[in-house]
Amino acid sequence: MVPLRKILHRACFIISRTVYMTCCCGCCSALRPRYKRLVDNIFPASPQDGLVKSNMEKLTFYSLSSPEKLDRIGEYLFQKASRDIYRRRHGFVIIAMEAMDQLLVACHSQTLNLFVESFLKMVQKLLESTDPQLQILATQSFVRFANIEEDTPSYHRRYDFFVSKFSAMCHSNHIDKSTGDKIRLAGIQGLQGVIRKTVSDDLVENIWEAQHMDKIVPSLLYNMQSAEKYETVSCMDSAVGAEAPARLAEACLRELVGRASFGHIRSVLRPVLTHFDRHELWIPNEFAVHTFKIIMFSVQAQYSYSVVEALMQHLDGAGPGAGDARARTRLRAARATVLSNIVAIAAGDSVGPSVLEIINNLLTNLRASVARDSEKESDEKLYQEALINALGEFADHLPDFQKIDIMMFIVNKVPSAPRGKGTRADSMLQSILLKSLLKVGTTYRTAELSKAFPAAFLEALLRVGSGAEPAARALLQRILHTLLDRRANAPRLTRPTLEYAELGLTVEKCSRQDLIFISKHGYALFGSLYDGLQLESNTMENIEAIYTTVALICIELGSEETVGDMLQLVLAIQQSGISNPVLSVAQQCQLQGVAISLAVLVPHVCTVPRLAEYLNKIIEARREEAPHMLPPLMESYDDLTSSKLPAKLPYLMMDQMALCECVKASGLDTARLAAPSPYSAGSVAAPHRHSWLEAGAAQGRDSLADITAGPPTELDSANSSPGVTRAACGSESAHLEAWRRAAGGPSEAERRDLQRRRATLNSAFRTAPFDHLKHITAPKYEIQDKLEEIFNSITEEPLLPMSGSCSPAGQKSYQQNVPPYTKYFPELFLY
Amino acid sequence: MEDYKFLFKVVLVGNAGVGKTCLVRRFTQGLFPPGQGATIGVDFMIKTVEVDGEKVKLQIWDTAGQERFRSITQSYYRSAHALILVYDISCQPTFDCLPDWLREIEEYANNKVLRILVGNKTDREDREIPRHIGEDFAQRHGMYFLETSAKEAENVERLFMEIAVELMEQAKCKELPKYDGSLGPINGKTTSVGDSSCCLRS
Repeated sequence: MVPLRKILHRACFIISRTVYMTCCCGCCSALRPRYKRLVDNIFPASPQDGLVKSNMEKLTFYSLSSPEKLDRIGEYLFQKASRDIYRRRHGFVIIAMEAMDQLLVACHSQTLNLFVESFLKMVQKLLESTDPQLQILATQSFVRFANIEEDTPSYHRRYDFFVSKFSAMCHSNHIDKSTGDKIRLAGIQGLQGVIRKTVSDDLVENIWEAQHMDKIVPSLLYNMQSAEKYETVSCMDSAVGAEAPARLAEACLRELVGRASFGHIRSVLRPVLTHFDRHELWIPNEFAVHTFKIIMFSVQAQYSYSVVEALMQHLDGAGPGAGDARARTRLRAARATVLSNIVAIAAGDSVGPSVLEIINNLLTNLRASVARDSEKESDEKLYQEALINALGEFADHLPDFQKIDIMMFIVNKVPSAPRGKGTRADSMLQSILLKSLLKVGTTYRTAELSKAFPAAFLEALLRVGSGAEPAARALLQRILHTLLDRRANAPRLTRPTLEYAELGLTVEKCSRQDLIFISKHGYALFGSLYDGLQLESNTMENIEAIYTTVALICIELGSEETVGDMLQLVLAIQQSGISNPVLSVAQQCQLQGVAISLAVLVPHVCTVPRLAEYLNKIIEARREEAPHMLPPLMESYDDLTSSKLPAKLPYLMMDQMALCECVKASGLDTARLAAPSPYSAGSVAAPHRHSWLEAGAAQGRDSLADITAGPPTELDSANSSPGVTRAACGSESAHLEAWRRAAGGPSEAERRDLQRRRATLNSAFRTAPFDHLKHITAPKYEIQDKLEEIFNSITEEPLLPMSGSCSPAGQKSYQQNVPPYTKYFPELFLY
Repeated sequence: MEDYKFLFKVVLVGNAGVGKTCLVRRFTQGLFPPGQGATIGVDFMIKTVEVDGEKVKLQIWDTAGQERFRSITQSYYRSAHALILVYDISCQPTFDCLPDWLREIEEYANNKVLRILVGNKTDREDREIPRHIGEDFAQRHGMYFLETSAKEAENVERLFMEIAVELMEQAKCKELPKYDGSLGPINGKTTSVGDSSCCLRS
């Protein structure tokens, strides 16, 4: 029994051993899990043969039919590949990666989650290798993965490594240039993939965090700046241009910026600005302009102003060589130039407060620059120029109604120190701001004067003009030119001339709105221009500039109604050129030249043939005796004997009465022209005038209130003031007698007449339709203006008997002598 | 399964031309590349070492020393577990810049980061910074100190190995998860004592 047992035992042992052996050798694979077998089978014997297609199909089918196995398949593939990487069998690694790609694409998204973990580990593993080929391969797989939409978010997934590594790849300087380029391209593609993967989902990693943006943005910019030339296009065709790192980097930057929401724009811009600082790309700023244009083109339109804002805030930011003041200034100027280049793109989409915000910011920077500009640095000037350009560019792309708003805004920032009292910085700021205003004004296309000059704006402009340095005043005139000149006549009217026919001026009939405008604001405008001519600090430039303004007004508003006003201004200028004691001889002669050229312009605009004849006579006479009283103006009139002074040649002056006759002959109303001049000579009266100018303008604004409450009270107040009432009571006749009678007090009949008028007026205001009321109230202010003006001149006349309204030429020549106190006010009761 | 137990990020910083790339190349590839060009942006290397029988993977980010790349290199400091600050012992200016570098590290890196001061190029004859100056500086600023030569492969292996050891000890006592970007506080960190040869193990 014992041997039998022994034999049995031995047999059992052999059997078991055989089974064990066969298991180990033959049926080993049969007992391994099915997924492992399927995975193993996709690898060929030799890596050159590539993926075994038919087996790959089997694997795909298997993973589709039992998706729960997908994560294990991934894991196993990764392990195999890691081993192959370690053994440097790159062919098999590539096959493993390819298999993973195919599985990724084939499988449905909800089952992918765990598989993706191994997939990304695999990609990372490949990226960690030093072999460029594997790195590029890994990137391609990653990009493929990035394009798949996952519907289950993966909170734990981190892209830290990928951002870091792809950014590093973007900076590759591989010894072989073409390999280096490939690695860079791969790096950019990888970054693009990370952005696509993370940007849309808030739950995964926040790509906008500084730690990522600080890597991504400089990497893209570094590749962009290596391009040979920068061509900025507003929209890039994404299909083309993937061949060069620079182009791809640009496309990627566009995508990034385009996806940035409001809160994220800053996260992109901050590294951009830092990069430009670090790499000293502001000077020259070609690339900076290129980049910022790209950013502006691709940023979502409603956020474009925040780009402008960021750049503006960076104007003063530190940069390389921040210690050196000159370098800083240059840097600022360069940044401002970039700003001026992009600001136009922003303007189209800016609305409301953001516009004023930008303007205000620019002005603040200008002011800061003026405050710094003590040593007259040319760089600082460049900076200011660039800022002003930016302002102009920005305004250029805004709708016209906003331009007026902006101009109002700027003009209100202009410091208006009384003449001669402002500090140097003030006057500098003033001229800078006026330059900005001019820049904005040039972009404005005036259609209707009343729209271009709202009352408050006009008032502010004139106020600035009255209290500035000569250069600033000339600037102000240029602003007026650009706003007034609708028909491009200004360049032809820079110098006073007599030969208007040769200039080819464009003259059109002025519209009704413009007439209303000029009847409302004419005196304010003319008064201010007249005052502008009375300053001893005027240079020839000032005088010529004012000439251009008046000439433009004459052309723009040339009509029968304004002829009287124009000629009256001409007469006043002529008179001041004789009697204003502060003016130099040269200035006096220049004023004569200006007066005659403006007078000649009038018949050119309106048909007043007799006026032209009369003026021609005077011109002929002056040509013979006093050519210095004709244009062109000269800087100095040195060789003038005292007998040739304008004051000594009264018979060469235009005469008020003669002008009246000429105008009357053409059937035009001469009442205004015949009236005494509202312009008082010298700057003595200037403060006085302003008080009523402003009052008039102020009244002009709240006309609605005036219609109901205003007129009766005004009438009453006028009545209660004895001087005015008496003046107002002057009847139609122009005799000394009449005046004396009026001075004595209104007659009974006149008083009754007045009462009646008042009653009619009162009832009219209570019953008349609104439009009618509007019509009659509009000129009403003029009456009052005029009354006050007369009142003023009455009180002043004893002090300055030779100035103002009288016509001294008439005293010695053929016209009847009219004493200065003989005033007739026929037009006062026209309304 | 991952084939390592710990992953540490090591970032090298320092002036241009002090030999950062050479140190990394010597350690990861065992070679000294003569005429190595300036690094652009950031370079990346990986090396797995074994400490106490456990595999530790070191991600080494080799940054460009040039000023213009400073903004991108700074962004790599934050996630670093260890920062190696390198200067050239034969070049005084690279040593003089150390305070600037420290300020930058202070600003951008995790404040608990392991900081190691390395004086490179000990093979050079024209030494300008005596060893004790570097040691003093490291001691004052709470850094570890080591002098190396990438050319002669002197102390290079040790530098990285001791970083791995130190970081692993920290990780073990803090039970840091492998992928955690934020490093816990380092306890009992002391500066090098007089014997510089075991400075890392103080």
